[in-house]
Amino acid sequence: MKKNYYLMSDGLLKRKENTLYFVNKDGKKPIPINKIYSIYAYGSLTFSSQSVHLLAKEGIPIHFFNYYGFYDGSFYPRETLLSGDLLVKQVEHYLNPGKRLWIAKKFIEGAAGNMEKVLGYYHVQNGIGKTVKDLTLSSNVTEAMNVEARMRSEYYSKMDEILPDGFKMEGRSRRPPENMVNALISFGNSMVYSTVISEIYNTQLNPTISYLHEPFERRYSLALDLSEMFKPILVDRLIFYMVNKRMLTEDDFEQKVDYCILNDGGRKKFIKEYDERLKKTIKHRELNRKVSYRRLIRLEAYKLIKHILGTQEYKPFVMWW
Amino acid sequence: MYVIIVYDINVDRVNKVKSFLRTHLHWIQNSVFEGEVTKSEFEEIKDGLKDIINKDEDSVILYTMRSEKALKRKVLGVEKAPIGGIL
Repeated sequence: MKKNYYLMSDGLLKRKENTLYFVNKDGKKPIPINKIYSIYAYGSLTFSSQSVHLLAKEGIPIHFFNYYGFYDGSFYPRETLLSGDLLVKQVEHYLNPGKRLWIAKKFIEGAAGNMEKVLGYYHVQNGIGKTVKDLTLSSNVTEAMNVEARMRSEYYSKMDEILPDGFKMEGRSRRPPENMVNALISFGNSMVYSTVISEIYNTQLNPTISYLHEPFERRYSLALDLSEMFKPILVDRLIFYMVNKRMLTEDDFEQKVDYCILNDGGRKKFIKEYDERLKKTIKHRELNRKVSYRRLIRLEAYKLIKHILGTQEYKPFVMWW
Repeated sequence: MYVIIVYDINVDRVNKVKSFLRTHLHWIQNSVFEGEVTKSEFEEIKDGLKDIINKDEDSVILYTMRSEKALKRKVLGVEKAPIGGIL
């Protein structure tokens, strides 16, 4: 039961002997090193190289977010799980256009399935299923991406039917998000992205070789690929839940003329619920035991490894409940 | 499982015990630690403690329960170190 630590306030991360301390204006708080899964730093964080040595030794990544809550980067400790064999095969699947397209399509299908589930839960009619059928016509990744874009705009246009008055989304806007729901989606997506990085770190997969997104575009693109499937479940459902229950109000946002972001209080509320959700378990049909949502992401990475190694064909994760 | 550890240790070793437990559990107040652990981690903690303490002088008591849910916890007065992942 290692858990995520979220450093929301400004402070100093330091090591004394083998204990990690977070020092802020409220004092010095020790963090049990064996209990840390990963650290999310939102405040401005000062840390010593000694603490980085300790984190590297224990294999704990830190994800950094800027003032606006956007993802900046991660401290990704030295890889301990290396597999040259898998890397070669991972690249082979990328270089072979047919194999790459096959995996890319599966990711889109997975994302579509989960979007349908989310909308279906609120009894919203949608044409996502129909749009996704066009995937069979796409003969390269760019065309598949186009289908994905169409499906996504269909999805976002239906979200307003679920959201209460005052919280309408009116189309997706990002960089910067223009209203409250867009701010929540952006913030949530960056959390999912970093959660997926943490999970990939714990597998032999190389995080930069991806299939749906181009490997050279931005960040750890394999994490972008895998997060597509999990965004609807982890972020969008959480947003509907929190907004419809009035857990978030206008006071939780910082609204300016041209952008809108969550403020400190809003972030804390959202992160708390997000963390709860990661820990929530469901009964896994195939494994026949309880697994947490966070574990589902790891399982997805394992499934991809199996596919790449040729032991089992990849089937994207779609919520079955 | 969830574990609560209380100890009474000779001053020569008390800091060693404290810093060892700090790497695994949450400090609650002087001489008390608690937290959720796996079975293997629990064994690790026990072995680590055995190496540090002198069994003729020191005393450590480990209370375990199946999960955090089996525990009812109430604090009177000051909560010295609240446990939480958001700092």
